[in-house]
This record gives sequence, C-alpha cells and structure tokens, in this order.
Amino acid sequence: MLEISSTPLVIIAILGTVGVLLPIISIARKEKGSNSFYAVIAFAALIASIGYVAYQFLTDNILPSALFSEDVLVDDAFGGFFAIAMLIVAIFTTVGSFNYMRKKNYPAVYYSLILLSTIGMVLVAYSTDLVMLFVAWELMSIPTYVLVGFMKKNPSSNEAALKYFLFGALSSAIIVYGISLSYGLTGSTNIGEVIQGYSTLDPSLLPLALLSVGMFIAGFGFKMGLVPFHQWLPDTYEGAPPTITTLLAAGTKKAGFAATIRIIVLGMVVLNLDWTLALGIIAVMTMTIGNIAAIMQKNLARMLAYSSIAHAGYILIGLAVAPYSSLGLQGSLYQILNHAVMKGAAFIAIAGIVTTLAVTNIDKLKGLGRRMPITSLGLIISLFALAGVPPLAGFWSKIMLFGGALDASSTIWWAPWLAIAGVLNSALSLAYYGWITRKMYFEGETEKRVSEPKSVIAIMIFSIIFLVGFGVYPDPIIKFVEFAAPTLSLGVMP
Amino acid sequence: MSNELIDFVLVSVALLGIGIYGLSVKRNAIRMLFAVEIIINAANLNLVAFGRFLPHSGGQTLALFSIAIAAAEVAVGLSLIIVAYRMYQNIDIADFRSLKG
Repeated sequence: MLEISSTPLVIIAILGTVGVLLPIISIARKEKGSNSFYAVIAFAALIASIGYVAYQFLTDNILPSALFSEDVLVDDAFGGFFAIAMLIVAIFTTVGSFNYMRKKNYPAVYYSLILLSTIGMVLVAYSTDLVMLFVAWELMSIPTYVLVGFMKKNPSSNEAALKYFLFGALSSAIIVYGISLSYGLTGSTNIGEVIQGYSTLDPSLLPLALLSVGMFIAGFGFKMGLVPFHQWLPDTYEGAPPTITTLLAAGTKKAGFAATIRIIVLGMVVLNLDWTLALGIIAVMTMTIGNIAAIMQKNLARMLAYSSIAHAGYILIGLAVAPYSSLGLQGSLYQILNHAVMKGAAFIAIAGIVTTLAVTNIDKLKGLGRRMPITSLGLIISLFALAGVPPLAGFWSKIMLFGGALDASSTIWWAPWLAIAGVLNSALSLAYYGWITRKMYFEGETEKRVSEPKSVIAIMIFSIIFLVGFGVYPDPIIKFVEFAAPTLSLGVMP
Repeated sequence: MSNELIDFVLVSVALLGIGIYGLSVKRNAIRMLFAVEIIINAANLNLVAFGRFLPHSGGQTLALFSIAIAAAEVAVGLSLIIVAYRMYQNIDIADFRSLKG
C-alpha cells in the first residue's frame, strides 16, 4: 500500500481540493471578474505541489525507478520526474493566464480545470495499473476538451475543440480496447503482470498481443501527435487559447510519452523486437513531416505546432533505441524536460504577443524585437534551444538522444540512420527559426516599444535562466535524468 | 446460440469495425460521437466477457469505470457540439474550415 504521505497522494490532495473549491468559492463570492484572485490560489497550489515533489527528492524519500508495483500507483523517481516537468508546465499556464484571462468570463472554472487536468497528467506518469492509467488519462483529457473551447464566442476555438474532442475520444476508445485485449490475454490489469503474461504467451495468441500493443501505440500516439495520427494537432494548437496550447503541447503530450514508456517500451522488450524498427520509422516520419510542414506556415502558433510534432519524433528516437542503449531513455527524458520548458516559454510568449498586439501572423511580427524586447528575447532563446543550438539546454538533450542512437549501432544496423535523420532535421528546423528571428530583429524600423505583460516577462526570465544556465552547466540535470531513467535491458523481467 | 467466449469477442470485433467505419465515412459530429461510443462499448463487452471467464472481477470493475467515464466524455462532447451548432447552424465537420494551412 502507498503511504498517505507519498507524492502522488499528496498532489491529488492539494490540487484536487483547490481545484474543486475554486468554483464553489466563485459561486459564494457572486462576482464574475477578479481573475488574479483565482490565479493566485491556483498558482499557490501548484507551487506547493512542486515544492513537495522537490522535497521528497531532496530527502531521498523516492524509490529509484521501480516501473512495476503491486499497487495501482508507485511513488518512484520516474513518476517524480514527469510530475516536476508537468507541474512546471501547469505553472507556466497559470502565470501566463494572469494576463490572458483578464476581463474574460469564468476565471474560477478555467483555473479549476487546469488543476484537474494537471492531476490527471501527474497520475498518468505514476500509474502502474491499466485501470488507473485509463482513469488518469481521461481525467487529463476531459478538462482540456473544455479548455480548448473555452472562448465560446470565437469560431476557431470552437472548431479546434470539436476536432480535438473527436480525435481525443477516439484515442481513449482505442486505449480501452487495447486494455480489454491485454486483460483478456493475461487475466490482469497490472502492467507488470500483463508484461509477464505476454512473455509466457501461447505463440498462437501472439497476433492478438501485437494488436493490443498496436492499439496502445495508436491511442497514445494521438495525444503525442505522431505521424500518421497528427492531423488534429495543428488545427487545435492554432485555434485554442495560446495558454491552453502550452498545456497541450508541453503537458498532455508528455503524459503520452510517460504512458508509452511504462507500457510499450517495456512490453516491446518482451514481445517482439521488430517493434523498435516500427517506432524508428514512425520517429523519422514524424520529424520530417513536422519540419517540412513547419517551413510552409504563415502563422506563428501553427508553425510551432508543426515543430511540436517534429519534437515528438526526436523524443521517439530515444524510445526506439531504448532496449539497446541506456542513453536512449535518458536522452528522451532529458528532451522531455527541456521541451516542456522550451515549448512552454514559446507558447506563453505567443500568448503575450496575442494579448498585447493581437497578431500571430509571422509577416506582422516585423520589429517585434523593438516593440517587446524581453518577450522577443525569451521567444528567440527558446526557439534556438528547440533547434539545439549550443550552449543552450536543448543542445545537450539532443546530443544525448543522437548519442544513444549511435551507441545502439553495434546491435542494430538502422540506429545510426536515426541520428543522421535527427541531425538533418535539426538543421532544417534552424531555417524557419532563423526566418522568425530575421523578421523580429532585422526588419521594420519605426516601431515603438509597448508595455509587456509582467507575468509573461516573469516566465521569459525564468526560462532564459533555465535554458542558458543548464546549457552552460548541465551536470545537475544530467544526474537527475540518470536517476529518473529506468534501466532497461534485454531480458529484464518484472 | 451458444454461450462461448469467442461469440462475445466476435461481436465485439464487429462493433469495433462498425465504429471505425462510422468514423471514417460520416462527417456529422453526432454520428462520429456515436461511432466512438460504439468502439468504447465494444471494449466494454470484451471486458465483461473476459471477466466472466476469469476467476476474479477486474474486468467488470474496469467496464463500470469505463461506462462512467464515457458518460462524462459524451456530456462534454455534446456540449461542445451544441456550442458549435449555435455558431454555425450546422454540425457537419467538413464545413468547419476556419483553421487550415
């Protein structure tokens, strides 16, 4: 049994209480406005949760990555790592909304839904049972359907929400079907027992087992935006309120990776190693299609949406080579943490630009470097970190990922090609990041400086410090990643 | 009509096929929502059938969870569809074209 002071339970208690109480408080206060009041409460709850996770890490109360457990939840370093990444994203979203939600309706409901969705994301990373995983997955997804359509007078927000909902509902339906097949084959819903059951499966039932793993990949792939399950993603990221796009791109996507690492990578080790080649092919397709489509975009949010698809491809490289090289999973986790900060900062910068200047078209961003200097600097630094330019943090995670792929080349012939594709794609992505930079700093002359929202400035400064600081001195994060990454080798059994 | 496990599984696979057909062919948002519901119910049927032939009740428990969650999901989905209908006077998703690129 989990203790009452274990990390996931405390996070549920803090965020759940505040999340449920916020709408009640708003009814009791009988007023519509006062966005900052609710934002401060939500922010305090998130800071308390991330503080508790950090405290548990610092006092060594967290198990090294256990991955399997008799219980439905396990309080291990892997879950804690994802909890920190997702809570950072939720804090970005909340702080960014200080400014974005001003003078908009129903702030209490908005922050309450963000908190509930955050609980879901964190629990996905901690769960070791398929029932728990499914419930957490839905707790994460259902609030985000509402949040994407939150601007209900805005046609593009509506359209984005409807598309997102249909694909999201399909993804959870496919996940339940996959769970039902694996339950029928192994007689258990505990992830450890399922994987053990698969390893001793009657060979005649193997196609069904592969079908269930395929359904898991498809179901989680919808949320992660893997090609060919990515069609909804650019529309949704463009139409949703930009703060919520932060939550989707940096948060729910990472929860998909957490679930994938817990189920698929480990299951693959036992089932059939050919699956890694399939993941490698998906990774290369996802990177290439994402980057090529991003070059052609005129809208900044849509361009970053495609770049987000491309980044899912980079992270997937690490999962594909995970059984052959320990650097693979570590690189993936490192990239996940960096991507949460980089993409979060970039989308919050967009939210700041949208609220101040009401433009997202790249052609209209001329001279942004003079109009909003701090936001522009934060945006540019996160874009170059996304491209993997040294000495920013994104460089080290890419080095680790591609190094993992090269490390695996002694066992599998196609692994170096993943690294080559990744490097080429990074170069390709520099093209469009450089284009934005040129628009912002080298075009237009007459623009005057406008006042930038303070909450956006705070996030920009935090992410500049994070990306530059841990880019120059990456040791603490690398140690943290090495501690959090599960060791995975051929023949590992629960 | 026999009462074997394979019958239930075959019905469930047929429902899965109907659901996927509905999603790929229909363009009406409510029909697509129904198609998704059919897939979820196919999974529930699977779970209950497997649970019946296994010595413990894990499958039925998950089926109950899944029914409750599907209800919540439909509530959210229908409300999104109603909002979209008020704006466009239409729920044909092929007509929602303000976002593309």
